[in-house]
Amino acid sequence: MPSPNGTREITYVEAVREALTQSMQADERVFLIGEDIGVYGGAFGVSAGMHAEFGGERVIDTPISEAAIVGACVGAALTGMRPVGEIQFMDFITLGMEQLVLQAAKVRFMFGGKATVPMVLRTPGGSGTGAAAQHSESLETWFTHVPGLKVVMPSSPYDAKGLLMAAIQDENPVIFVEHKLLYKVSGPVPEEPYTIPLGEPNIVREGKHLTVVATSIMVQRAKQAAEELAKEGIEIEIVDPRTLNPFDDSLMIQSVVKTGKALVVHEAVKTSGYGAELVSRIVESEAFDYLDAPVRRLAGLDIPIPYNRNLEYHAVPQVENIVAEARKLVRGEY
Amino acid sequence: MAKSKNAQTSQAAKRKLSEKQLHEMLYTMMLIRRFEEKALDLYSLGKVHGTMHLSIGQEATAVGASGALTQQDYLLNTHRGHGHCLAWGSQADLMMAEFMGKETGYCRGRGGSMHIANVDANNLGANGIVAGGLPISVGVGLSIRARNTEQVVMVVFGDGASNEGAFHESINMASIWNLPVIFLCENNQYAMSMPVEKSMNIDRISDRAAAYGIEGVTVDGNDVEAVYEAVHNARQRAIAGKGPTLIECNTYRYMGHSKSDRQAYRTRDEVKTWMDKDPIERLAGHLDMSKKDKDGLFKKAEAEIEKAVEFAEASPEPDVADIMEGVYA
Amino acid sequence: MAKEVIMPVFGFNQETSQIVSWLVKDGQTVEQGDPIAEVTTDKINMEIEAPTGGVFSGVGYAAGETVPVTTVIAYILEPGEKAPEAPVKAPVTPQAAPTPEEPEKSSYTPDPPTQNEQQLPPPAQPEYLPPATDGRVAPVSDLAAKVASEHGVDLAAVRGSGMGGRITRKDVESYLGAGAAAPAAGSGAKVRATPAARQAARQRGIALDTVRGSGPHGRVQAADVAAAQPAPRPRTAAPAQPGGVQRIPFTQMRRTIADNLQRSMQEAPHIYFQVDADVSALNDMVAEANRQAAEGDAKVTLTAVLAKAVAWTLQRHPRLNSHLGQGEVLQYQDIHLGIAVALDDGLIVPVVHNADHKNVRQLAAEVNDLASRARSGKLKPTDLQGATFTISNLGMFRVDRFTAIINPPQVGILAIGRASRRLVPDALGQAIVRPIAALTLSVDHRVIDGAVAAAFLDDLSAVCERPHLMAL
Repeated sequence: MPSPNGTREITYVEAVREALTQSMQADERVFLIGEDIGVYGGAFGVSAGMHAEFGGERVIDTPISEAAIVGACVGAALTGMRPVGEIQFMDFITLGMEQLVLQAAKVRFMFGGKATVPMVLRTPGGSGTGAAAQHSESLETWFTHVPGLKVVMPSSPYDAKGLLMAAIQDENPVIFVEHKLLYKVSGPVPEEPYTIPLGEPNIVREGKHLTVVATSIMVQRAKQAAEELAKEGIEIEIVDPRTLNPFDDSLMIQSVVKTGKALVVHEAVKTSGYGAELVSRIVESEAFDYLDAPVRRLAGLDIPIPYNRNLEYHAVPQVENIVAEARKLVRGEY
Repeated sequence: MAKSKNAQTSQAAKRKLSEKQLHEMLYTMMLIRRFEEKALDLYSLGKVHGTMHLSIGQEATAVGASGALTQQDYLLNTHRGHGHCLAWGSQADLMMAEFMGKETGYCRGRGGSMHIANVDANNLGANGIVAGGLPISVGVGLSIRARNTEQVVMVVFGDGASNEGAFHESINMASIWNLPVIFLCENNQYAMSMPVEKSMNIDRISDRAAAYGIEGVTVDGNDVEAVYEAVHNARQRAIAGKGPTLIECNTYRYMGHSKSDRQAYRTRDEVKTWMDKDPIERLAGHLDMSKKDKDGLFKKAEAEIEKAVEFAEASPEPDVADIMEGVYA
Repeated sequence: MAKEVIMPVFGFNQETSQIVSWLVKDGQTVEQGDPIAEVTTDKINMEIEAPTGGVFSGVGYAAGETVPVTTVIAYILEPGEKAPEAPVKAPVTPQAAPTPEEPEKSSYTPDPPTQNEQQLPPPAQPEYLPPATDGRVAPVSDLAAKVASEHGVDLAAVRGSGMGGRITRKDVESYLGAGAAAPAAGSGAKVRATPAARQAARQRGIALDTVRGSGPHGRVQAADVAAAQPAPRPRTAAPAQPGGVQRIPFTQMRRTIADNLQRSMQEAPHIYFQVDADVSALNDMVAEANRQAAEGDAKVTLTAVLAKAVAWTLQRHPRLNSHLGQGEVLQYQDIHLGIAVALDDGLIVPVVHNADHKNVRQLAAEVNDLASRARSGKLKPTDLQGATFTISNLGMFRVDRFTAIINPPQVGILAIGRASRRLVPDALGQAIVRPIAALTLSVDHRVIDGAVAAAFLDDLSAVCERPHLMAL
């Protein structure tokens, strides 16, 4: 894998686009399908310019029909293609749930392992854009609860490109969750094609006092929190699962064995969120014997995302929340 | 774009099937009938579990439709799909093994009656979700076009599925892109217990084709030749790039919706009326077949089914150690 | 031909149906498809139709009776035909209904000793369990394995109460005859402590209730334990009695040993067999192996060579490589040798798995490793599981011979005394000095008869004297 150091910097949205473009150049079975992804370039500009490069047969604009978009991916994947569908906002996946959960995820198993469904469904989730309750969902945990689906959630431009290229090459249905606020974040990304294996977490930052396990935009916020905390002498270790399912938890567990304390951070609401899975894995493992404080979760409040700017800000974890929670854990206040 | 046109297939159009082909079709219909009757027996004896949806009475639709397609085409099947599966050329023994949950079954005992598939033979599987196959057919159509092959996909569904949102999304998409999809609606008059006349305010489901700007036809689903003709024409149109067709086949299931249906919603007289239009008897009559020849053919079908049952009963159960297999590729 | 009418299966998991009413009378003529009875499941009412036309003849079930599915409830006869001999009316037992077959092969096999105490119900469903570490061992929760390892409990002897016989911590604790995880001596109250603090306290032998906690609500943190002094020895906690008697409470391990051995002596009729074997050839083998050892090779001991000889002999006498099950003997193909290891205050029996597939050098390395880990408390649960035969070597002491108690559910144990120099006749009847070791075999007479044990010992002493037999 090429090192991210010393390479050019591009934004997350450019990294996603580059992964799509390079995958389509390398494999003519790959095509894009979704709402307004053609000349319009996608609601968030992910596919800007791709219609001009690849034409309408490979960058397919659809009517507003999420069930049919997902189903079209399933049918094409079953018959030899590698479709990449876009669901314009993660919220709208609810309209395609049947095709995703009962068809895409299950046909291989139902058919005794004799079919493959190599498809990717990209979708932007998350709040912070003032789009209110029906355009700000973080539903990733739903899909981790469905055997047969893989769920990927990149937190940086580098990961976005490598994981998306790997997802497109994977033989299974993959839900690829982007974050609207990450689209503008820049970072080093090699120009040549590369993949990051699905399922491998990343130690984003090393530290000895506390393990912070964070997903998507919360990784960026945890990094900012780490800088604040370092000024007080607190060194946090940040683990990014990157792929929520399947997830090799050994690095996370080793980290908790080392630090003895763990904080899990995600944007989705707390109750039955992915954090519950992470905490369970920690306490089920050998790390249990090394815990020196309760394992804590920092997550979205159990409410729909509000419209008001200030309310929206307080609905999900922010940098200062991570700093405060980490400080209390490390100082032994829990 | 073809304008919607609803027409009963004319008698004059029936021309393509030789006597030999008709005899083969008759045999397949008998095989389906005996297969399902046997499945019912095995279910009553507790040898097949879960539930099953029988298509006894609907055999002509399955046999006529598959007969008009080629081995390169694709099938997306319904939950009431044993007939289509056999008509597609699937082996009765591997199907029976699947019913009994055996490792040798088409889906290694993981799918059962509702999910029989044979991807190698382009049978992309029966679907337990009403209208579940329709969106998938759009993707198969796109795939055919991207690969530029002379294939079509036929998706089979019931009258009830035509009231699902997925029906609308899928036919609309297939229409705007002129995809080679044949939407085959088996109107057996009831969605579980809901009669067609109470669930929609139109006389013919094929009328709905007009809303999508595609060809729509209604045929007598108990007339194997009429079904063959309609599907044959739809295939010609699809191959010629003239897009999808919605075919409604009027037929009737003699048995309940599933094994736990007491059929309080219909009368015995109604069932009897349809039995008088039995598709097997009709074709046998059309072929001027003697009772002896007919019985002989049924016996042959029975023997094939008995062998299938023997195979299934002798087959091994799946190993619990393999329970995790097939979730991911 | 009389056609049977059975009580059909209508739906999921249905075992019986109740007859609501008969719609036809005996002797009445019916057409195929005519409703003949109304029945009800717990879910719905259904009609049973005549499978064929003919004369109806019931078998005696009345309205209101509950009948298992697939039972014959009536016949349709041809005119004039008599009903077949009335089948005995099946009693209304839900068990009579077809139930899913037991999976023929599961990913684990319950360990035989679990059946000693009480027959467990078979798992109702295929298990959704992580594969057991050893094909023969019941699934064990991580925590149970940990507790067992700490207390030297052989998991094979613990009955699992969880799904599919899974052994939980509770099972291990009740096996130990103790309540919850040993609360600290003295206070009797539970101590607030983090898992890391508990682990540190265990390792250092510190009682948690003697440590001052610095965490919230006085919770003991790992750092508090690190700063604490080791707790006084238990013997000072129990004041000396007049006459100099000390009360030394049983440790958990001692309790386990006591219980196991008492049970074995009470339940298993032991018989003993002895042979004095000339071990000079084995001594030569040890010396030769150590001369030829490459750097890093484990030191070969007489125990390792004897283990090899025992494994070889067990291959020839598989009946001794068995467990006693519930009314049956489970004779194993794999040979897993338990090697008794003495500890400061106790005894533990780690296992060399598949001993017959290992050469002397491998056996030596493994025995040495197990023994040293046993003494430092670092054995893993798998190290203690699955023994099929045990050897106990006290040859390092000045003990000529001794008898050992069988470790159930095994059926045999070999006790090895020291090799002492003794005068024996050579081939020509001249007295010569040879190293002679007494091998004492204890067997469970319920399973092993005298001749079987004798034949085993005969072959064992032969291979000790002529180890080249193993190469033949």
